[in-house]
Amino acid sequence: MPTPLTQRITAVLWPSFLMAGLATVVFFAVFDPYDLVAPTWFPNLSRLGAYSIGFFLFWLLTASSCLLTCYFQRPVNRVNRLPGRDKE
Amino acid sequence: MARPSDETASSDIETQLYAKRQKIYPREVHGLFAWLRTAAVLALLGLFYIVPWLRWDGRQAVLFDLPGRKFYLFGLTIWPQDFIYLSALLIIAAMSLFFFTALAGRLWCGYACPQTVWTEVFLWIERKIEGSRSQQMKRDKAPLNASKFAVKATKHAVWIVFSLWTGFTFVGFFTPILELGAKLLTFSTGPWETFWVLFYGFATYGNAGWLREQVCIYMCPYARFQSAMVDSNTLVISYDTARGEPRGPRRRGLDPSEKGLGHCIDCSICVQVCPTGIDIRDGLQYQCIGCAACIDGCDDVMQKMNYPKGLIRYTTQNALAGGETKILRPRVIIYAAILLVALSAVFYGLLTRDPIGLDVIRDRNALYRETSDGWIENVYTLKILNMEEIPRVFDVDIAGIEDARLVEDEDGVVVGGGEVVSYVVRVQVDPDEMSRQSTDFEFSVKARDDDSRVAVESARFVGPRWMGES
Repeated sequence: MPTPLTQRITAVLWPSFLMAGLATVVFFAVFDPYDLVAPTWFPNLSRLGAYSIGFFLFWLLTASSCLLTCYFQRPVNRVNRLPGRDKE
Repeated sequence: MARPSDETASSDIETQLYAKRQKIYPREVHGLFAWLRTAAVLALLGLFYIVPWLRWDGRQAVLFDLPGRKFYLFGLTIWPQDFIYLSALLIIAAMSLFFFTALAGRLWCGYACPQTVWTEVFLWIERKIEGSRSQQMKRDKAPLNASKFAVKATKHAVWIVFSLWTGFTFVGFFTPILELGAKLLTFSTGPWETFWVLFYGFATYGNAGWLREQVCIYMCPYARFQSAMVDSNTLVISYDTARGEPRGPRRRGLDPSEKGLGHCIDCSICVQVCPTGIDIRDGLQYQCIGCAACIDGCDDVMQKMNYPKGLIRYTTQNALAGGETKILRPRVIIYAAILLVALSAVFYGLLTRDPIGLDVIRDRNALYRETSDGWIENVYTLKILNMEEIPRVFDVDIAGIEDARLVEDEDGVVVGGGEVVSYVVRVQVDPDEMSRQSTDFEFSVKARDDDSRVAVESARFVGPRWMGES
């Protein structure tokens, strides 16, 4: 059964988006960005900015993990198909 | 790894593997369930677009003030300390979903899901501008010309304006919408606000304008596990095969039994109105979002044919098989019970919520200090939170550590209504009196005017290693 392209892209970006959102909520409910980084590294960063950057870092992390999952799902016999070999 | 020589082979595979999506043109439908959905759309979107403008006590009534780390819900203020309520709320939401799914299938998807609700609005705009289903299909097949371009551009422009307004409203739930609106009029919104308005606007436009049923089919986790909640006593949208088959076209007024036909005239209206493009006559399918458009469509046809309505209807598997439908069954009762317990727990918790909060943070720079008279001193920052709307004066006290001195810079702390105040205090002990290097003790803050407003928090006093060895 062919997998539509939308489904493939979605399978990486969407679950990671959901988990990144959840992680952001939990993380920033416990840690106030002002206590965490603001005074020393980013004195001008607003809380909204810190939340946003935090969210995208989480998304990057979760999306990478989804991407790797998809990458390793590739069947072994497809990896074996090297250039020059007969195509099955 | 790039493998150029493999390129053609893999692109062949690509075309085989990645089926191109066929655009679905759902036909407009009228009837009881279409009316119910329109009502739900108006109510829910009305709430979404109006609620951020409501005022309460001189502030925005519903505001998830992320920068201020406080959530306002009319008279109620939720603090980060109240995180447990958010978890409880999620449990309640999940249980409601389970409960209603067990009772009547995908009610959520058909009537309340934001994806459905916004798609309805986008479809409505599309129909107003592009015309009916057949007009849309004809235009999409025709080559691009000036009028086609004008129609498409108008549609997308209206979609985009509506999406941007949606994005603005969304951000208005998180930053005060009046200020946001004022800033928007002068094009001076902050970078992050602007970003999230565009982000949410783009998500609305993409999901409701372009992706539509693909969101339900590929993105929705609920759709995937719905079968775990549905059983043969659940109301689902079904085609009555026994009554409908064998399907086939016929003249109006003809007795179908004469021709050996069932009630289905095979007009394919049920397929044309389906927003996910399935044929309900093939049985219950994962793609069915339970919108009941096919019921409305089919009932209309049945009426024209003078057949009884309900060839496609809300029914249960048991009823279709000629059995009885049991509504009160263990799973429904269990879901309802958990729902009730969670709801009462939240209400009880909110009603008896401790209105004073206290956090104790030890000074991070120095473990301890020695005072000029040879005593050992620890510095603490107290974060005192007054959740009530009245300002109060609090007195700090310590207990559980013998003969210690509490040194404060002020006499009592003033904490305004709904505010957090950081207050630095020092605790000093005579090292000769101490039996251990570290001692646990308690801080307490008590409102000067009301003894019932107390908060207690434990802390640790740490001295030099030699303390307590002598």
